[in-house]
Amino acid sequence: MAINHKQILANSLAARLGRRRLLQGAGAAVAAAGLPTVAGAAEGGHIKLAWIDFVDTLDPHFTSYLGAIKIHNNIYNGLLKVEYDGEKVSFVPDLAESWTLLDDKTHVFKLRKGVKFHDGEICDAEAVKWSVERVWRGTPKSPHAWKYDYLESVEVVDPLTVKLNFKKPYAFLPVALTGSTGRAGTIVPRKAIEKYGKDFGRHPVGTGPFKFVSWKENDSIVLEKNPDYFEPGLPKLDRVTILIMKEASSAVAAMLAGRVDGMSNSPLQFINQLKANQSLVVHGEIEGNYSLMAMNCRRAPFDDVNVRRAVGFAIDREALIKQAFFGIGIPAYTPISPPMTGFFDKNIAKSGRGQFFDLEKAKAFRAKAKTQGAIEAVILTSEQGQYGTRVAQTIVPMLDKIGIKAKLELVERAAWISRRNAGDFHMLDMTWSADLDPDETIFPEWHTSNAWNFSGWSNTDFDKLVEQAQVVLDVKTRRDLYVKAEDILMAEAPLAILTHMPEFKVLSKKIKGFKYTPADSLDLHTVSF
Amino acid sequence: MLRWALAKILQTAAVLLIVSVASFSLLKLAPGDPVELMLGDDYSKESHQSLMIQLGLDRPLPEQYVDWLARFVRGDWGTSFVSRTPIFQYAFVEALPVTLTLSAAALGLALLIGIPLGVLSAVRKDSAWDAAAAAVSLTGSAFPSFYLGILLIWIFGVAFGLFPTMGFVAPWSDFWAGAYHLVLPAITLSTPFMALIVRITRANLVEVLEQPYIAAARARGEPAWRITWVHGMRNVLMPLVTIVGLQLGALLHGAVLTETVFSLPGVGRMITDAVLNREYMVVQAGVMMTGCLVIFTNLAVDLSYPVLDPRLRPR
Repeated sequence: MAINHKQILANSLAARLGRRRLLQGAGAAVAAAGLPTVAGAAEGGHIKLAWIDFVDTLDPHFTSYLGAIKIHNNIYNGLLKVEYDGEKVSFVPDLAESWTLLDDKTHVFKLRKGVKFHDGEICDAEAVKWSVERVWRGTPKSPHAWKYDYLESVEVVDPLTVKLNFKKPYAFLPVALTGSTGRAGTIVPRKAIEKYGKDFGRHPVGTGPFKFVSWKENDSIVLEKNPDYFEPGLPKLDRVTILIMKEASSAVAAMLAGRVDGMSNSPLQFINQLKANQSLVVHGEIEGNYSLMAMNCRRAPFDDVNVRRAVGFAIDREALIKQAFFGIGIPAYTPISPPMTGFFDKNIAKSGRGQFFDLEKAKAFRAKAKTQGAIEAVILTSEQGQYGTRVAQTIVPMLDKIGIKAKLELVERAAWISRRNAGDFHMLDMTWSADLDPDETIFPEWHTSNAWNFSGWSNTDFDKLVEQAQVVLDVKTRRDLYVKAEDILMAEAPLAILTHMPEFKVLSKKIKGFKYTPADSLDLHTVSF
Repeated sequence: MLRWALAKILQTAAVLLIVSVASFSLLKLAPGDPVELMLGDDYSKESHQSLMIQLGLDRPLPEQYVDWLARFVRGDWGTSFVSRTPIFQYAFVEALPVTLTLSAAALGLALLIGIPLGVLSAVRKDSAWDAAAAAVSLTGSAFPSFYLGILLIWIFGVAFGLFPTMGFVAPWSDFWAGAYHLVLPAITLSTPFMALIVRITRANLVEVLEQPYIAAARARGEPAWRITWVHGMRNVLMPLVTIVGLQLGALLHGAVLTETVFSLPGVGRMITDAVLNREYMVVQAGVMMTGCLVIFTNLAVDLSYPVLDPRLRPR
């Protein structure tokens, strides 16, 4: 049966693409042509944000950190962007005015007219082509190049129309293109990159609502309003100062003392205290992420599938959430998380699928294991992220109940990463975050060929299913493929899946108009003060 | 005297060379790799290899060191691979003044409060003053600066809202705002140091005040303040200056934590970040700067002895 790919993508991934957007786009073009933006002129203000996340570079094609992407989203635009209505995540046009599929492999983007980069360069089809090619096959190689693995060519149809030809249908494309977690579709100016070279990440130039002013190492990053921004009336703020604060407790103190107006994130232990403060609003919902305990399938004792299965069912997720996550988060049954609208099963808790706490089942698997005596294992852990070593510490006594004597080996982050990448561990706790599509949350992490498959697990049936799901656009068919793939993954248990967690943004009540999206972003486009 | 000073400076250069080799090799020997850290979740064997080549980290270690040293002495400190800023600008122009200002403020505060308190407890030996000063100094030296910093932030920054809890304002561009921002960090950093000064001053002054020449001065009917501050303190200065010099390293070490707690963009924070990110060249720059600072302070202390004690002057 022939599938109408265009209709499917248009309906499921870009639900908002339509007349309403086109009208907005037309309005934007008028605004960009130089008419005064009344709302923008009437607002104003300068906000200070405490940034506890790490910022590596402001070049969107070379970053590896969400702390940096949260800033990029305010300086740059992508062809598409992520939108959230409180229930549903969708991908809507940003620099594109319309997006059509000639067939399931050919995407045509009609661009907004009159959009300029902060240095005055025109953002047209040539700029988009150049940006896409910079990620796809530029030198040095972008770490996001894999997102264009299926790309065959980029064509400029006319100054405002660009065509992307793919070798296969590519279901992950909307995520790859967004200026959010995708990074590969963020549009950058050629002249500025040629001018600054490798230093572009310290002199970013985009099309976004805020222009870069300065970056003082370990101190602050300053952005100011882009008066020529294409969305009418935006941005509302005049200036944003991002104060780089490594110590979260100092940032919380500054927030409570009213010395900053927001925080980019907050460790879980402070959340209740921040929520109790009348002058603050804490934004945070369950995002596209999961925490896990990875088990090294290449090494005894976890080369035995029954030991791994036993671990999967021996962990009491509710107790873990209470003890290690300060009661914040929900148990995960499989990697696909709630914001993956269309793929997440709201009834998963009752479905019997995935992994969950069932000590009897865990003991039954343990009884089938090759080693019946006490098993000794080491959990490689590091004082990092929001959870530190708490997850590993909480799990140790749970494993004891199935005869696994686990010890913690606490190492520094750099050593942890090195040993994780080299596969030099028995078990390790980690998280995958800011994913918006099942492909992103499953494929690179568990496909045999991928560098992120630190557990060294390999299953050809699983590989085939997730490969197939990449090139199928129909959501229902894709969902069925992922259900099968996840069932294999959870049964083979190279991981014990633990939780899905919220990511928090803390803002002063004086800040209005903030739109939360569950993609760990902090977009200030609509914010006023 | 000049030859002696020159010899000292040559020794200093040798020490710096040893320090630089040691810090370079130690960091390289430590597990963890800057490229893996930079790549984060975008790690793959190919991207790792290509970035290693880009950064020149695929070359043999001695070659990397010699290359770094040759550039460093010519004033080319390299570019940070994480932040892409010239390291000279980052370390010397931006970070060093912050740490020097903080350390100077802490040192000043420690001396300003520590010396009078030490003198008071020596002069009023075994009195309630003495006991109180001992209690203050013991508490001060027992308090970890990290904890003290957070405590001060919560009491004076959050509960009473009296002082800023973070950030650095250069006192040379706005003196009062700078001083205001430095109050809490300077107290945090100076407290253990102040406690030490109280104890040194007290112990030495008690001893000095029992010397026959002090008894003679008393017999001559000299006023008490003159006996303490002129005759007594003159002989306390030597051990005090020695201790201050030796403790500068500890002060810089304390600055690491203080700068982190109060979000000050100084050398301490720079080195911590660089070590965690395995940014060899930034660590080297930091180590060389702090090494120079410690060594030259010791040199200055050595040179000050003949000034402070006429008996040590060359005849």
